[in-house]
Amino acid sequence: MTMREFSERDIHLALDSELPQDERAAYERWLETHPDMQAKNRRYEADRDLLRGAVAGVLDEPVPDRLAKIVAGETQPASRNSAPRWRMAAAALIFAAGGLGGYFLGASGWRPVNGTAIQLADGAIAAHAIYAAEKLHVVEVGADQKEHLVGWLSKRIGVTLVAPDLSAEGFELIGGRLLPAAATKTAAQFMYQDRTGNRISLYVARDSSNTETGFRLLEEGDTRALYWLDDGYGCAVAGNLPEEVLLKVANTAYRQLLQGMKG
Amino acid sequence: MDDRKAAILAEIPRLRRYARALLRDRDAADDLVQDSLERALVRLDNWRTGDSPRRWLFTIMHHLFVDQMRKVKRRGEASMLQIEASEAMSLPAHQAEDVASREILDALQAISPDRRAAILMVAVEGFSYAEAANVLGVPAGTLMSRIARGRDELRGLLDDGARRRTIRVVEP
Repeated sequence: MTMREFSERDIHLALDSELPQDERAAYERWLETHPDMQAKNRRYEADRDLLRGAVAGVLDEPVPDRLAKIVAGETQPASRNSAPRWRMAAAALIFAAGGLGGYFLGASGWRPVNGTAIQLADGAIAAHAIYAAEKLHVVEVGADQKEHLVGWLSKRIGVTLVAPDLSAEGFELIGGRLLPAAATKTAAQFMYQDRTGNRISLYVARDSSNTETGFRLLEEGDTRALYWLDDGYGCAVAGNLPEEVLLKVANTAYRQLLQGMKG
Repeated sequence: MDDRKAAILAEIPRLRRYARALLRDRDAADDLVQDSLERALVRLDNWRTGDSPRRWLFTIMHHLFVDQMRKVKRRGEASMLQIEASEAMSLPAHQAEDVASREILDALQAISPDRRAAILMVAVEGFSYAEAANVLGVPAGTLMSRIARGRDELRGLLDDGARRRTIRVVEP
């Protein structure tokens, strides 16, 4: 048997039954000695099976009448009363493919992301990564000057703030700082710490888009942010803690921020 | 019904599957199938009975799909922006899917139509490279590179989706 050099290309050939039968055994041996290629092969195979499974059910669906009738000659061509929807869908798909960064995988597809919301969450994660790791200068103004801190940040970001009391969740306020922000120019960060030294931060910015998003989660590496846009402001709770912890904090923070704004 | 019509009828489930994976939206996909069937019936004489009806019908459908993609592109980005992507792509409630299926179908929509079609023709519809290249009207080498790049892109999107999953959390 000739031992030719295999490459990643052959993974596709093999998966698609295009690899000549007499090369199959040598290919299998090659895979065994190349773990990275084996991993790739398994992954592509799993994705393919997933894809097949995802549309397999279509074959079992009864043929819609409107399609069967065309073939039977019972319907005049072009009898459909609306413009073809698939053209709309095709347009939307190109649009979607054009800027992946601007889409999130929602409950029913890639939906356009609210630019402010995603920037807010990104900003919160970036700021948390920088300052939560800080030993000496974790905050600009300490919790001992809480009233001054809250007043100052409220004025600078243009939102009537409170520094939520998270003691029920086990977190104490360390203090806060003013941050530059992409979409809103300024943002406020409150830093909290639990007894074991875990830190979470609350990142708040003004939002004039008049949207309410509900809670969403953004993960970047180990850091995650639960964020939302509400009436005139956006907030993100960022930390390296599990989602459940962040969710509890977010619920409490949401209620207290709302109360604070209503005065 | 004559034999040729019966043969076409028998291909409808596969045409629907391909269109569904291509476009995601059920009604939009059936519209594409409908357009394809209409064109096929008008050109029934072009189909030599020795030919596989499957390849013939998929070729017709692919041409319709590509024509439309081109028109959409030419109309330019400005007009495309007016189309509510979320509206056009939203799924009717009856399309129940599990999370994994949904993710891969969504990711598939995010790769280029050329690569999407190539992957679907071969990996789902089971056409050989030679047949798929023929239907899609490209050299086999081009088809291969579309499949390879498409799979790689798909993998990246799925990984990315898992890493940066944006979810709506229901308040406990």
